[in-house]
Amino acid sequence: MSSLHQSWYEAGARERIAALVDAGSFTEYVGPERRETSPHLGIFDLPAQFDDGIVVGAATVDGTPILIAAQEGRFMGGAFGEVHGAKLTGLLRAAKALNRDVVIAFDTGGVRLQEANAGEIAIAEIMRAVTEARIAGVRVVGLIGGRAGCYGGGGLIAGCCSTLIISEQGRISVTGPEVIETNKGVEEFDSRDRALVWRTMGGKHRTLIGGADLFVDDDAAAFRAAMLAALVRPAKAGSVRNASSVPFGRGERPGLDLATLDAEQDRLERRIARFGDAADATDIWRTLGIDDARAIPDMPSAAFATLAAQYRESADDAR
Amino acid sequence: MRQWNTRKQMREERIAAGRGFATGKLVDPETLVDFLEAVLRPGDRVCLEGDNQKQADVLAKGLAAMDPARIHDLHMVQSGVVLPEHLDVFDSGIAKRLDFSYSGPQSARIARMLFGGKIELGAIHTYLELFARYFVDLTPQVALIAAVSADRHGNLYTGPNTEDTPTVVEATSFGSGLVIAQVGEIVDTLPRVDIPGDQVHFVLDAGRPFYVEPLFTRDPAAMTETQILTAMLAIKGLYQPYGVRRLNHGIGFNTAAIELLLPTYGEKLGLKGKICTHWALNPHPTLIPAIEAGWVEQVHCFGSEVGMEDYLAARPDIFFTGPDGSLRSNRAFSQTAGLYACDMFIGSTLQIDLAGHSSTITANRIAGFGGAPNMGSDARGRRHPSAPWLQAGAEADPDTAAPLRRGRKLVVQIGETFGEGNAPLFVEKLGALELAEKLDLDLAPIMVYADDTTHIVTEEGIANLLLCRNADEREQAIRGVAGFTEIGRGRDKAMVERLRERKIIQRPEDLGIDPLDANRNMLAARSIKDLMLASGGLYRPPSRFRNW
Repeated sequence: MSSLHQSWYEAGARERIAALVDAGSFTEYVGPERRETSPHLGIFDLPAQFDDGIVVGAATVDGTPILIAAQEGRFMGGAFGEVHGAKLTGLLRAAKALNRDVVIAFDTGGVRLQEANAGEIAIAEIMRAVTEARIAGVRVVGLIGGRAGCYGGGGLIAGCCSTLIISEQGRISVTGPEVIETNKGVEEFDSRDRALVWRTMGGKHRTLIGGADLFVDDDAAAFRAAMLAALVRPAKAGSVRNASSVPFGRGERPGLDLATLDAEQDRLERRIARFGDAADATDIWRTLGIDDARAIPDMPSAAFATLAAQYRESADDAR
Repeated sequence: MRQWNTRKQMREERIAAGRGFATGKLVDPETLVDFLEAVLRPGDRVCLEGDNQKQADVLAKGLAAMDPARIHDLHMVQSGVVLPEHLDVFDSGIAKRLDFSYSGPQSARIARMLFGGKIELGAIHTYLELFARYFVDLTPQVALIAAVSADRHGNLYTGPNTEDTPTVVEATSFGSGLVIAQVGEIVDTLPRVDIPGDQVHFVLDAGRPFYVEPLFTRDPAAMTETQILTAMLAIKGLYQPYGVRRLNHGIGFNTAAIELLLPTYGEKLGLKGKICTHWALNPHPTLIPAIEAGWVEQVHCFGSEVGMEDYLAARPDIFFTGPDGSLRSNRAFSQTAGLYACDMFIGSTLQIDLAGHSSTITANRIAGFGGAPNMGSDARGRRHPSAPWLQAGAEADPDTAAPLRRGRKLVVQIGETFGEGNAPLFVEKLGALELAEKLDLDLAPIMVYADDTTHIVTEEGIANLLLCRNADEREQAIRGVAGFTEIGRGRDKAMVERLRERKIIQRPEDLGIDPLDANRNMLAARSIKDLMLASGGLYRPPSRFRNW
């Protein structure tokens, strides 16, 4: 059973990159041998890591050159610090300059508290770099399914990507469960109720409300297959529906534009109007037309994917 | 002329006093506290049912709400000190003296209260030992118990979490004491009768199920490669050579890893049917893959486990189930099974000293014993032979003629050399000793005594203490698997090498185990969800263990 596939949830950043790209094709930029460690953590007597918790570089997938980044969720919860953020910003600027698609394997709790200002600035710089790359026609594909989820500024960056791939274990949110509970009380959100956390922020829910585009098993090979599919989708779907069936060749990709952003704004307004009163994710799923909403969490991936394809709110027009 | 029925008369008086707050046997929930004050007397010996799993929580709340001016100086004789109310009664003076066995979640507070003199401590027992005393010198005058449901006659259905109830009721009711049960609901017909109504004097409809703690669920996602290595060592270095078929596992991650390695690593070693067939064990979710793969023939349970109910009911060939189909657990019988009918106990601990004594008690935390000392001890009354028991006996005492030689139970301590918070597993002096000095106890609270411990397993290897011939060899055998702890670094290297030649110490490479093979892909399940899938959806994990 589980020993037959490589779990994405359990893999480290380097294992994820190895599982995604063509064997031997990866070249790391600013690798651990450069020892570009955090200038802040030492002040707090915290250990640094030579890659500052993110691996960035160039590789090929099925022979096509891409740029790729993977966060290491096991170092400081994959959180963004100064160096960590600068490596991703640099990679995204290179993507624009080289006109190469980017794949980001998120695994992050957000900004590193110990370097809050630098981290927050990094988030803003990365969002700008993602947007500029996308305007230039570059695809930015996010992969989410690690232990740390994709929280805080990571959730904001994910929202800027052209395609998001997520597994059931993956979580996307800006504010994390503990923070909600601390600020709004346990009656509002019990962060220890893990079923509630996943129902609200997890992969299935995000897929159903259009917060993620492709739903995959917790399997590194499945993430790779979805990534390959995402890399032939148009960088901006525009008016094209069922985009995955219409591969765009290099050079004929329309970039992110105002119309896309307007479409996304419309979609979010519709979402609030439709679901704003829902007290629980299951209410939203019922509104989507899924009768047995409570069965969703336990549903196997394949059955869920079929059901989601029928009922989900698509974000294809917006991304 | 002496009256010979004063106890029964006293019970009749209590029943009469209680009737004022009840309709028949059914206590009015609105007047629970008044009712309790009416049936209790200052100085009573009271068993408030609760162990490491189920809790008579509503009765506990009622007890704590009594007026200490009316009811005080109770002597609590109970398995578990687990809920805050269990200690609140000592703070308020309602209770004074305590005999117990387990206090996991309250371990820090109970330590503070013992130091502060708030509690007069009788003794810390094992479960079986406290049950025994219920029938000798600690018979409760009043027992407050918990059941799933009752009918109008007071018959009780205790369901999968039957646990201590039959033992407590047996001692109290036949010892002329008063039995009061909280139940989740009153029904016309019970699924099965676990406790006959004539042993139950009052019933409280709590309107909701009693509290149960899922204590035996270990999330495979949290299992480390070091724990997997220790599990591989145990399977290949102990289970296989001794051919251990009847056993009990502790609740730690190391033994949970063993359970998850049976269908993978165990299968590869060709051990199916040769080891781990019969168990005294709670229904560990991590045993599901081994059960589904056909490794397990029978399991008797101390209690149940939250979320496992439907799975257990669907596997009656493996588990003990009632006519209604659901599990029947019984802590006293299962502890007896673990003591007399198992050939191995293997569990984790917090501290091991140079003699091999081990303890989970530190100077600031008194977690009690629970059942481990019963499981983890050689039963001197045992008379039936079995291959592992005879082999261990022969290793310990090769000189005595076989017909007169006792066998030995395999008592194994397993763990990483550095445990949680990087605390060393091996210590010069046990925290339990410091505690005994501080509280002026006659006995240090030792979980497993050195003379019962037969093997210690760490990631550095296995120490076989049965083969040691003197205290020096024992000490070096322990130092020899103590890794980079101070105890480990203090080893006599030459002597440790000699012990290795005699197979008193076995390293992973001596057993043909490559530590690099110890990775999570070896686990038959790597997440709680995998366990649920392995059970065919019958296992329903509690919300706190889910990540979907």
